[in-house]
Amino acid sequence: MRTPRNMPVAAQVLSGAPEVFDEVGYAYDGSLEGLLSAIFESYARHEHPTDIAPSDQLQPRLGQRIAYIETDLGKAERVRKGLTKKGGRTAWDAVKRGSCSSDARTGNAIYRFVRYAMDEHVGRARPYSNIAHPSVGPLFRLVRSVDQECEHMRQFIRFEHLRGDGIEVWFARCNPRDAVIPLVMPHFVERFNVQPFIIYDENHATCGVYDGNGWQLIAIDDASLSELPLPDAAAEEGLMQDAWRRFYRCVSIDARYNPELRRHFMAKRFWRNLTEMQDETPALRTQGPHR
Amino acid sequence: MDVAAKLEILADAAKYDVACTSSGVNRAGKQGSLGSSSVAGCCHSFTADGRCVTLLKVLMTNVCAYDCAYCACRTSNPDITRIAFTPQELADLTIAFYRRNYIEGLFLSSGVLKSPDYTSELMVRTLSILRNDYGFRGYIHAKAVPGTSPELIDALGHLADRMSVNLELPSQKSLSLLAPDKSRQNILAPMRRISDSIAEDAESRALVRRRATTYLSAAPPRRAERAFVPAGQSTQMIIGATPESDHQILSLSAALYRQLSLKRVFFSAYLPVNADPRLPSTDAIQLDREHRLYQADWLLRFYEFDVNEIIDDAHPFLATDIDPKANWALNNLDLFPIEVNAAPYEMLLRVPGIGVRGAQLIVRARRQTTLREQELRKLGIAYKRARYFITCAGAYMGTGVDFSRDALHARLASPINGGRHGRRAERAIPGQMSLFETAANGSSVLPPAPSANGALLESAADVEQDDASSAVGARNGKERRQKSATPRSARSSVEEVFAA
Repeated sequence: MRTPRNMPVAAQVLSGAPEVFDEVGYAYDGSLEGLLSAIFESYARHEHPTDIAPSDQLQPRLGQRIAYIETDLGKAERVRKGLTKKGGRTAWDAVKRGSCSSDARTGNAIYRFVRYAMDEHVGRARPYSNIAHPSVGPLFRLVRSVDQECEHMRQFIRFEHLRGDGIEVWFARCNPRDAVIPLVMPHFVERFNVQPFIIYDENHATCGVYDGNGWQLIAIDDASLSELPLPDAAAEEGLMQDAWRRFYRCVSIDARYNPELRRHFMAKRFWRNLTEMQDETPALRTQGPHR
Repeated sequence: MDVAAKLEILADAAKYDVACTSSGVNRAGKQGSLGSSSVAGCCHSFTADGRCVTLLKVLMTNVCAYDCAYCACRTSNPDITRIAFTPQELADLTIAFYRRNYIEGLFLSSGVLKSPDYTSELMVRTLSILRNDYGFRGYIHAKAVPGTSPELIDALGHLADRMSVNLELPSQKSLSLLAPDKSRQNILAPMRRISDSIAEDAESRALVRRRATTYLSAAPPRRAERAFVPAGQSTQMIIGATPESDHQILSLSAALYRQLSLKRVFFSAYLPVNADPRLPSTDAIQLDREHRLYQADWLLRFYEFDVNEIIDDAHPFLATDIDPKANWALNNLDLFPIEVNAAPYEMLLRVPGIGVRGAQLIVRARRQTTLREQELRKLGIAYKRARYFITCAGAYMGTGVDFSRDALHARLASPINGGRHGRRAERAIPGQMSLFETAANGSSVLPPAPSANGALLESAADVEQDDASSAVGARNGKERRQKSATPRSARSSVEEVFAA
C-alpha cells in the first residue's frame, strides 16, 4: 500500500480524497501488551500511524486523527510470536526491555523496528544486529539506556530493615527514570532470597514484592503505601545506617576531591534515596585540595 | 569502643588501597543462602573523590610490626589509635551491610599484628565465619600479608574470590629503601605461589569435569571443594614516591600479566601521609601520570598492545598531552588511514577514538550496511578523533587537516570542548596567556620527571622520519605485527624487571 508520504506531491494534490491526507496516531494504555496490540491494529487496518504513544503522553499533531487502541492479549501474543519467528529472541528481548523506557519516543521506536523486522529486513543475519539502520538504531539506544538504568538500580537501591508485630521486611524506595523494577527484581530475588523485601518505585507508583517464595509487581501510589501497616525500623537499623555513613565519609581522600566525577557516576537525582547522602550533606564537602 | 567507631578508624587506614573491584567471578545465588556475584562486578557508591565503593574495605587491625615510610599505620607513628576487629564483629558487619545492598562483599587487608601468620589466622577465621557459618556467596577480596606461611595462603585462597599481594613500589631498590621489612622474596614468592595454585586448581577441576564414561556410582559425589581464588590475583604499586620511569613501571606490569597471569595491576599516585626524609616533599600528586599509566595498562590488557609499542627506553615517560594510543598512532602514521568497512578488528582497536565496544559495534554493523560518517556517529564512537585515521568506503574522513604528525598532534592534544570539560583543576587552557601565570604554574600537578616533554616530541619526530624512510610499504598488518612482536627469549622475568 502506498503511504501518503512516499506518494509524489502532485498525486496527493490531484487525488483530493480526504483519506490520502489521513494522518493517524495510536494511543495505547502504556503497557507492553497495549503497544503490541496497537502494532497489530496497524497491520489489521492497513494504516501507517505517524505516532504510537501511551494515551497520557500522546500530543495530537495538527490534523491528526487519534485512534484509541484496546489492549488485547490475544493480538499482543500474535505479534510476539511473529516477531520471535522473524527476528529471533534477541529482537523480542530488545522490544521487551525497550518498552520499559519512559522516553516519549518509545512507542514509535518499537513500532518502526517491528515494521522493519517483519516487512523490510532481508538477509540471514537477525534484524536487531543491523544497528546502523535508522529503524533499529533508536531502539538500540533505548535498550541501552534502559539497561543503564537497571544497573543504576542494582547499584543504588538501599534496603531498610523493618521489624515488629511478627512482620519482618526489608524495604527500599527508589526513583528510576524508566520502569525497570520488573527487569531488576530477578537480580534482587536471587541475591536476597533469604529476606522478604519490597522495592517501591516512587516515579511509576509500583512495588516489587518478594515474600520468600515468588515475587509480584503491584501498582500502588504513595498515599496507599503510607496506609499499609508496615512495621517500624528494626533496632539496629539506625546504627547500621550511621556506620555506613561514617564509613562512606572517611574513605574519601581529600587530596583527590573531585565532585564532578562523583556526580558523573552517581547522578544527583538518586541522592535523595541514598542512605549515605542523607542528612547534613554539606558536611560531606571536605576541604578542597590544596592546589 | 563501638563497631562504628572502629570501622571509621580501620576504614580510614585502608582507604589508600586502590583496588576496589568485585569482578572476575560469576556465582549464581542459591536458595536459602545470602548473596551472589557477577563477573562484571557492581559499584554501590561513589565517594567525594569520585572513586567507587564496591566492597567493605577495612583492615583487620591497624597494629603493625612493620615500619614502611609511606604508610600511616607504621609502627613508629605514635599519633593513631591502635585497635582491631574481632572476626565475629567483622563478619556480622559485612552481613549487615550486604543485606542492605550497601556493598558487594568484603575487602580484607591488615596490618601485621604479632606476626604475619597470627594476622592471617585472624583473617582466615573471619572469612570462614562468613563462608561456612553464614553461607555467604558474595565477593571476598583478601590481601596476603607478606611473609605468611604457604598453608595459610592456601586456606585464605580457598575462602576468598580474589587475592592480592602488594608490590608497594616498582623496584627492589625503592622497596628496601622505603619498606625495609619487606623484601622481594617476601612479596614475589606468595604471588608466584598463588598464581601456580590457581593454574593447578583450574587444571584439576577441568579434569574432574571431563567425563568420558558415566558410571552408576553407589555413593553420591562429594560436595565440590571451593575453587582457589577464582577471580585471580591483583597487585598495586605507588607511583611518584620513587624515581622509577613509566617505562620501568609498564615493563614490570607487562611481565606480571604475562608470567604471573595477574588480573589487574593498580597504580596509586603517591600521597604524602607521613613526613620522612626518604620521601619526596612535594604536595603535587601525580594524578595525570597515574591516569596515563592506567590508559597504557588498558592498552596492554584489552587492546592487544605490546609494552614495547607503547613505550621504550629512548622515551621512558608517557606523553602528558596526548594519550598513549594516540601517541602510538602518530608514531605509526604509515599504517593509517584504515578502511572502516574492511579493516580487521585488531586494527580497528588501534584507531584513536574507537574503543573495544566501538570496534565490536562496527564489526557487527558492517555485516549489513556500509558504514559512513552518519552511521559511525550513531554507533557512538568518538568520531571527532577517529576521523583523521579512517576512510569510509574509500573516502578519507579527516579532510581539512594536514595528514602529518604535527598537525594531527595539535588536533588530538587540544582540550575537549575548549577546556570546559573534565577536572576543574585543568580548566585553564595550556598555552593561553593568563594574568596569574606564576600562580597557575605553581599549582601544577604535572609530574616533574617528564619535563623533557619537548625533547620527547622532537625525538619522537626523529623516529617517525626514520620510520618513513626505512619502511616504505609497511602498510599491511603482517609487517606491523612483525615489528611489534618481541621474541620470547628477549623478555625478562618479573624478578629481573623488579630488580633492575
